[in-house]
Amino acid sequence: MEHYKASLQTDCEQILGSFQASNSVRFEEFSKIWKQTDFSSIFHGISQIGEKRIFTRLALTVASPYLFPPYTFQIRVGGLYLLYGLYNSQSVTPKEKIRLALKDWSDLIKFQQDAVNAQHYDVVYILKKLLSDKALYFTAMPDPLSFNAKRKQKEGGNLNEMFVDRPSRPQELISTDMLEELANVHEHYEKLKQAVSAQAEKPELNLVKQNMVPKLHSAVVSYYSWQQNHTEFESQDAESDRGAGEGTTSQEESSRRAKLLESIKARSYGQAVEASRSRRHRQVEVTSAATNSEPAAGSSRYTSKAPSLKERTELRFLNQGDQNEGLQGVTRIWRLSAVEKEKIEEGKRPRFNWSSEREGDEA
Amino acid sequence: MAEGAEKEDVPVFENIDVNTKPFHLRSFRNLWLEALKPRLYSFSNTDPAREEVELMQEMGISPETLEELKTICSTDALRSHPEEEAPDPDVVPPEPKLATLKLRKKRQDYKKTLLRESIGRHDIYANEMEMLALGRKPEDPTDFVQEGEMILTFNVLYPVLFERFKYVRAYQTLLVLGSQKLSELRDGICCVSDLQVFGEFSSTPDMVPQFISKDHYKSAFFFFEGTFYNDMRFPECRDISTTTREWAKKNDFPEFKSTKMEDTTFYDLRLKVGYPYLYCHQGDCEHVVILTDIRLAHRDDCLDAKLYPLLTHKHRVATRKCCACHLYISRWITTNDPHAPSEPCLYCDQCFRSLHYDEQGNKLGDFNAFAYVDPGAFN
Repeated sequence: MEHYKASLQTDCEQILGSFQASNSVRFEEFSKIWKQTDFSSIFHGISQIGEKRIFTRLALTVASPYLFPPYTFQIRVGGLYLLYGLYNSQSVTPKEKIRLALKDWSDLIKFQQDAVNAQHYDVVYILKKLLSDKALYFTAMPDPLSFNAKRKQKEGGNLNEMFVDRPSRPQELISTDMLEELANVHEHYEKLKQAVSAQAEKPELNLVKQNMVPKLHSAVVSYYSWQQNHTEFESQDAESDRGAGEGTTSQEESSRRAKLLESIKARSYGQAVEASRSRRHRQVEVTSAATNSEPAAGSSRYTSKAPSLKERTELRFLNQGDQNEGLQGVTRIWRLSAVEKEKIEEGKRPRFNWSSEREGDEA
Repeated sequence: MAEGAEKEDVPVFENIDVNTKPFHLRSFRNLWLEALKPRLYSFSNTDPAREEVELMQEMGISPETLEELKTICSTDALRSHPEEEAPDPDVVPPEPKLATLKLRKKRQDYKKTLLRESIGRHDIYANEMEMLALGRKPEDPTDFVQEGEMILTFNVLYPVLFERFKYVRAYQTLLVLGSQKLSELRDGICCVSDLQVFGEFSSTPDMVPQFISKDHYKSAFFFFEGTFYNDMRFPECRDISTTTREWAKKNDFPEFKSTKMEDTTFYDLRLKVGYPYLYCHQGDCEHVVILTDIRLAHRDDCLDAKLYPLLTHKHRVATRKCCACHLYISRWITTNDPHAPSEPCLYCDQCFRSLHYDEQGNKLGDFNAFAYVDPGAFN
């Protein structure tokens, strides 16, 4: 079931993305998008009851982070609607609940308050409805934790940057009020210092820079303008090389690089195919090893591993074959590739590739 | 500082997505109960009319606006098909747009190409146990789980008994109430090593004593956050954590505390969610125990307090069959046995008797026989 996680995430981001594009927080808008994509059908087509429940749980788990910071208010509203929709369209009884952690409760209350202040009736109504329907579990943590079960599935930060507010911490921290306060404190400090040492200024008391306040101010301003420029630059960059507008630029860049690396690798491995006839049965395995290594290079999760003993032995055999050039000329590449194909057909059926869907989307 | 002290009991991650920092369970529960209005966690239905009036007052809206709001936000607005021609929910819609559905369709198409579709019995019954107790109400109203009670989920892992358990984290899941004693969880954990019968019975197969190791060796302890919780309910119980504690003292380890399991409720504990702890019984049968989840009781939960600790998941083990009939689960294990094809060898009760004894019940040949409890016997 865990295999569906990635695709569920793409679906959620898709619907939230189009909700974001609508520039609205109205439920009408959301339900329109929901209907267009026929999102309720996400629960369709599961034949086993047990599987249904697990999938529902997974869907709610994937959707719930969008309700909380660091996402923007609009995305959080979308997240709320999404949870409301998923909760009500699930097909198991009793319904699978949405898990709410204690640390997130204050965020939810703040969110509700924001919605009340901004007169978003539909947001408040739906939140209240979920609460009165008892659709929430009040828990310690957002997911049940069973020590390092997740270690393997961990995939870097999966925060969608499109949905997050730009970091504005420095600006928040250093407001005009704060600067004024600081200036006052500084003044007071200077006065005190003068009171303490009546005589002429002692150099050892000059510990604080005199122009600290204006300097701080200018630093924040320059940071802000840098940020502005940077995002402009980034968005230009993004427009130029993004087609459908999914995924972040850095991701695409890295995947492009990975593909380049792959092609180089494939070429270099491809040459190794020419070898002595007597070693032919080993050749097949070498080429398949090359194909195996491709996804590893693509995902960049597994950094270069030392080759296994088997691989190293094969390489050594290959090198020995190279010295034996008389035999090498006989081998023909097309012949080998044909053998390889046959082998797949005769042998085991290829296993189902869970991740192919995702990779296909990115390409 | 006062705020900091309070924040301590709000669970936060210690290692991201792995486990939390330790927090006191009772204070954690109190924080939730303070944060929530009682009707949010009560088991009874709230009056919708009252809620509406409250909402209108809070938001300052008129009844007409509320009516409008209700129609806009009703779940019907999410239905993409009219009710009467809703598509079959058991079929993946043709030409799906969602990535999940595409993947599911692909998977199903792939499954169709398989020659033999394996129907996993394990998958079918995977959540059977969970469903059994769901929404169960007690006959006696005094047995109701109280509103605002905490339900703790414990995963109890099996020790590595077999070679193959090395690769599968076999575990059972137990739900306990926060107000229950640790000893109640101890009684809820079933493990084959509690059921062993010691002794050699080849000459008197009908005289196997009914005493199992659980009755002989009653000592056990939980180890949570530097404290040993010993089971001392019976006079014959011993503090089996002494050895460890003394060793720790001698080797410059921080000192461990020890208390009684039967005097401690879960609310008294400070625990980390998702962190491995230890349950040890029968001297050396050691189980890793993980608290995976804590939450307030919900009205759809099993509300019969008597059914807790509640077993909701169990790892299924393939049973070992009798070597003679390959049909029944083994009850006997023999060693040094001239009749046996292997050493040691497993037999069901019937085959064991017909092969090793004559009609008068006399022992044939020289062999040792022991009672055998199959780990799969709990399935």
